[in-house]
Amino acid sequence: MEKELGLAQPPQGTGQGAIQGAGAGRPAGAGPGGFARPPQHTGPVTALQLVDRIRARAGLPPQPVPDSAPPPNAPSTPPLADQILAGDPLTAVTGIATTAMATFDCLKAAAAAKKNLIVTLDPVFWSENDSLDRMEGAAVFKAKRDFIHANNLVCFRLHDHWPAKGPNGIATGMAKELGWEGYVEDAASPTSFKVPQTTLLGLAKELSTKLNDRTMRIVGDPQMPVTNIAANWGNTTQKQAIHLLNTSADVLIVGYTWEWAGVEYAQDMVAAGDKKALILLGESRSLGGGMKYCADWMKTFITEVPVDYIPVIEPYWNLRNPVLEINTKI
Amino acid sequence: MRSLEISRREMIAGGAAALGIAAAGIARPVRAASPLTVQDVLDRMKLHVGGPWSERGGVDRIVVGSADTPVTGIATTMMATFDALKDATKAGLNFVITHEPAYWLHQDPPPGLADDPLYKTKTEYIRAHNIVTFHFHDHWHALRPVDGINYGMQQQMGWTGYMDASNQRMFTLPRTTLLDLAREFERKLGDHTLRVVGDPALPIRRVYESWGNSSVFPGVSFLDSDADVLVIGEAQDWDLIEYVQDLVSSGQKKALILLGHVKSEQWGMQYCAEWLKGFVTEVPVKFVEIIEPYWTIDRPVMEINTKI
Repeated sequence: MEKELGLAQPPQGTGQGAIQGAGAGRPAGAGPGGFARPPQHTGPVTALQLVDRIRARAGLPPQPVPDSAPPPNAPSTPPLADQILAGDPLTAVTGIATTAMATFDCLKAAAAAKKNLIVTLDPVFWSENDSLDRMEGAAVFKAKRDFIHANNLVCFRLHDHWPAKGPNGIATGMAKELGWEGYVEDAASPTSFKVPQTTLLGLAKELSTKLNDRTMRIVGDPQMPVTNIAANWGNTTQKQAIHLLNTSADVLIVGYTWEWAGVEYAQDMVAAGDKKALILLGESRSLGGGMKYCADWMKTFITEVPVDYIPVIEPYWNLRNPVLEINTKI
Repeated sequence: MRSLEISRREMIAGGAAALGIAAAGIARPVRAASPLTVQDVLDRMKLHVGGPWSERGGVDRIVVGSADTPVTGIATTMMATFDALKDATKAGLNFVITHEPAYWLHQDPPPGLADDPLYKTKTEYIRAHNIVTFHFHDHWHALRPVDGINYGMQQQMGWTGYMDASNQRMFTLPRTTLLDLAREFERKLGDHTLRVVGDPALPIRRVYESWGNSSVFPGVSFLDSDADVLVIGEAQDWDLIEYVQDLVSSGQKKALILLGHVKSEQWGMQYCAEWLKGFVTEVPVKFVEIIEPYWTIDRPVMEINTKI
C-alpha cells in the first residue's frame, strides 16, 4: 500500500540527477543504474501532497445523477468534490481538521488549534458547486477569504463515498457515534438498523442527546413502535426518500430533504394510515459522526501531522431553547 | 422608507382594473346558466389575476380531474396533502386549488410514480370523491398589485401597513428583537418548530420576506440589503443557512428565520379564498388550513389525521 505514494517514494520528476556524459565517471553517491540518489524531502509536507494521498485512498467521487428537478436558481454544474477550494496548495500543513461543513466558526476553531488543512464534506462558499460567480460581492465572502489567507488555511472538499474500498465511511462513523454498530443488519451497507423496540419519541430523544441536536423535526406518531430504522445521512433526494420510506423501515432518518417533496410524502403516508415516520436532523448533525470517523481513518495513513475532528456548531435555535451558539468573534 | 398599505378593496380592484374593467368595486360575477364547472372558475380567475395568463412554461394546470367537472365547492390550500383532501371532502368541496404540488414535487406528478402504492391510494381517493386539483403557483405569485402569497401572509401577521412603498418584500416594523419576532411568528402562525439563526437579542426594525423556498440567490442579496432579518420557509443547510451562520460568525448584525415551508406561505391561500369569493358566489369557497407535519421533542404532538 505504501509503495503507491507517500514518503517512501521520491517526488516525481526529480530523480534525474547527474548527466551521464561519455567518459564521465560515476558521480559520488550514485545509486543503481548510475543515477544520482534523489534528494529527500527537505521541507514539511504540503497540503497538496496530503490531499493527493487522501484522494488515492478515498476513491473517485460518484457522478451526480439528478433524479428530480432542481429548485429555481439551482446551479447546473456538478459539485466540486475532491478539490482544494480555498488556500494555497503548497502551504505547509501543521495539522488536519475534519468537519461536516467548513463554516466560519469551524475555520476559527481550526486556526486556533493550529490545524490548517480543513477537510470538509459541504461547501466553503455556500453553493453546491462552490462557484465564486456572484459570491465575490457578498458581504462575508471577503471576511472568510481574508481569514483563510491570514491563517494559512487550506480547505479541501471531500466527497462522501470514501473510502475507495469497504463500507461507506460516513455510515460507519454515524453508526459508531450512535453506538449502533451491533444493530447493523448488513455490514456492507451500514445504514439499516434493527434496534431494540422503542417508540418514535424515544428514538428522537436518543438522537437528540447523542448527536447534540436541539432542533430536529419529526413527522409521525410519537408513540409509534420502532424496530427497523433506515438512515440516509446528509442530503436526501425525493427519490431516495420515497424509496426508503417504502422499505420495511419504520422510520427514515435524514439530514435534509425538501419540505414540499420528501416531507409531504411522509406526511401523506401517515395520513393514509401507514405506520411510518421521518426524522429531519439537519445536515451537519447527520454527518458529524462520519467526519469524526474520517479523522480516525486518515490517521491510518497520515502520521506526519495531528489529525482531529471539529464539530460544526448547530446554526439554529428554536423557541424552546433560544440560545445562540455561533462564535461571533474573529 | 415610505410604507404602503394596500387595502383589500384595492387588491380585488387592482386585478380587475388592469384589464380595464371598472374598478369602482368588486367585479360582477358572470352567472352561469348551467352548473358551475372547473373551467368556468378558471376562466374567471384568469380575468382577475391582474396580468397575463400563460398556459405554457409554468407549473399551473389541472393535475388530476377534468375541466368540465361540476363544482360543489372550492377549497384553497397550501399543499394538497392527504389531510387537506380529507378536510375538503368532509366540507363538501371538490375543486381543490393548491399552491404546492399534490404529488410531492414542484413539477408533479414526478416520473416513475405510477406504481407507487401511496400515489395509487391518493389518486383513488381523489377519483372516488370526484375531486379536481389545480396547481395554482406561478399566477398567484404574479397577482397584481401584490403577490397573492405575500398579501395573505401580511394580513395574517397584521403587517399590511408596514410594507415598503418601493419594495413589497420589505417591512419596517415597530422596534422589536429577534426573539420577540420569532415568538410573534409562533403565535400568529401556530408555528412551533420554527428555527432561527442569529442573536436572540438582535434589535429588529426591517424584515425582508422570501416566503417559501429560498435559494442562495437571491437570498444572499436579500441579506445584504439593509434588512436586519430575512424570513423564509426553507433553505438548504449548506448554502443559504451556512451563509447566514458565517455572516453572524463574522460579527454582522443579521439573522434568518426559518418558518418551515407550509407555515411560511399558507395564509397566502387563505387570501386566495377571499379573492375567489369576490367573483365566485354560486358555491362555497373555503380555505383549508393544513397541519404542520412536524413536532419537536419538547412538544411531541402529532396533528396529522390518520383516518381515511
